[in-house]
Amino acid sequence: MTARRRDPRAERTARIVQTEPRRRLVLDPDAIAASSGGRPRRDPRARRADATLQTAPRLRLDWTGKGTGAAVSMSAPGRGQRAAPAAPPLRVIENPACLIFAALDRPDGALSAHDRQLLAAARLLADAVDGAVVAVAPDGADDWGALGADRVIPLPAAWAAEYAPERRAAALVAAIARWSPLHVLFPESPEGGDLARRVAAACGERLFAGVESLSASRVARRAGGGATELSCAPSRFLSIAADAVAPLGAVRHEARRLDPPETSPDAPKLREARRLPVDPDGVGLGEADFILSAGNGVTDWVVFADLGRALGATRAGSRVVCDAGHLPRDRQVGASGTVVSARCYLAFGIAGAPQHLQGVGGVERVVAVNTDLHAAMIKRADLAIIADAQAVMPALLRLAGEGGHG
Amino acid sequence: MVDVAILVSVGRHPASGQARRAPSDARALELAFGLPPGRRDALHAGDPTNPALRDYLGMGLERLTVLAMAEGRDPTDALAARLRGLSPGIILTGNQAEGGEDSGMLPYVVAQALGLAIVPDVVAIALDAEGRTAEVVQALARGQRRALRVELPFVATVHPAAPAARPSAFGPARRGRIEVVPVDAPPDAFLTACAARPWRDRPKRLSVGAAGGGTGGALERLRAATEAKAGQGRVLVEPSPDEAARAIWDYLQEQGMQPR
Repeated sequence: MTARRRDPRAERTARIVQTEPRRRLVLDPDAIAASSGGRPRRDPRARRADATLQTAPRLRLDWTGKGTGAAVSMSAPGRGQRAAPAAPPLRVIENPACLIFAALDRPDGALSAHDRQLLAAARLLADAVDGAVVAVAPDGADDWGALGADRVIPLPAAWAAEYAPERRAAALVAAIARWSPLHVLFPESPEGGDLARRVAAACGERLFAGVESLSASRVARRAGGGATELSCAPSRFLSIAADAVAPLGAVRHEARRLDPPETSPDAPKLREARRLPVDPDGVGLGEADFILSAGNGVTDWVVFADLGRALGATRAGSRVVCDAGHLPRDRQVGASGTVVSARCYLAFGIAGAPQHLQGVGGVERVVAVNTDLHAAMIKRADLAIIADAQAVMPALLRLAGEGGHG
Repeated sequence: MVDVAILVSVGRHPASGQARRAPSDARALELAFGLPPGRRDALHAGDPTNPALRDYLGMGLERLTVLAMAEGRDPTDALAARLRGLSPGIILTGNQAEGGEDSGMLPYVVAQALGLAIVPDVVAIALDAEGRTAEVVQALARGQRRALRVELPFVATVHPAAPAARPSAFGPARRGRIEVVPVDAPPDAFLTACAARPWRDRPKRLSVGAAGGGTGGALERLRAATEAKAGQGRVLVEPSPDEAARAIWDYLQEQGMQPR
């Protein structure tokens, strides 16, 4: 917080209105308020009060100056909670010069991080040419405006869950024919990449697949077995690789809904799609979704195997367990084994060596059972149970066998 | 009895840069060997003198047809015309080439030109008794599998998770015949318009402390790089085994890992 330092000499000169026959000064203070110059004056107490984020349980200061404005500090002098960031202003693009389509994946009915990056890429291309971003996706409860979409073409919500690449491609081709967008962007994911190629082939155009770096004038991708970089001006059909573009910050757009185009209901050639049950132990650790892991606290390996089967979890272990030969080496989690990225990691009898914690760095949810309250794994866990793993495993196996009705 | 056409390409070893058989195309050929006996036509578009093509013959092929064309030509029209003449029941190929444009578009363009269905990321194909339809298994993310039914004829691209290809043997590789068919292919205007240069790895984009990633700054990035992630920290101290099991089970259900 800074105040202007007063300069009495300058103020006095500013107040002079007449020097002959004698000097006369204006006495109205408002007339001179604007003209007082000089160096800005620091107010350390106000600055400190502004930087104070919390005072209890301990003092926390943030000197970066972000998030607190002068207006906030005037009205509430800096104590207590930081003011919530103001909602970004609504941006309406009434007459766009062109349209940029973003064909979102929405796997399992929820917007993925890749979808958000795709909207950011579309925003980048649209802002350069004063265009509008059109999100084309199975309908859902998402706040499209906050995601950066100016228009939305909702497709039937059921298409997110079922496998309907042909119908999705037909709907997109119809939408492209009707609105003729400047660019059509796809995520380079298994489903999105397939859709991109279907649509590009149906439109008879080339796809610039797996864009790794994107600007308004140039796109680049990896080709030649990963040895060469191809770059050109953005082509009409682009698919964006994961993590190539940073997602948008806080924005607010209009998200006006457009009517989806009519498509002729052709009989799909791919029929009777259904998920197959997979053997969890056949899945590689790196791509497993749910991992049951054992450490030194586990001695009964028959119960451990039964539990893995009952829960449908991929079995894994710490280095000690694999060294002892209880599990094969490719089932080791940690710095010298596999770095896993499962959604859920259920650890029995693992204390949590730093190398093991590195291995579970990408895991979303950790459940740990250990006898030591002060183990590192307990700190990392979302649900920690201080108990003997050998006693809990049979109880959990019994409960899983009864389907949770024990 | 089903006729199968396999489209093979020349790959590039990721470390040495040597020409080799493309791994996913070799898997496609392996999948073709597993289908009931019938005519098998392997097709390649490009340089017929490339020694890497012998690797495919070494897997047990007797004959490989090469549509001879120079570098930088667009092979899709020539391949589609050739396949229209062969009219196979199944067209198999890898899901992405290595060493060319690597866009993965070719099977889609061929399927579009012939008006066939296309099934991506296939790991297994089983034909029914009459040979009219096929049950196809697709590889999905996280090791999941999906089965679907498709009528013949169709195009399938083979996923790298498909069964590994058999090794190439020297004798059959020597004995196999390479049939050269010179074709007139147009130059690829799209590819020549692109600038090519050696690939250089870019720094990995950090998700913490980035523009869209919240309030963070250098301190937050340092914290994310050095500190282990801390959980929500619900701790149960010395519960009975049954209580502990119930807590774990409820939590797994909450997270959607177990059926309710």
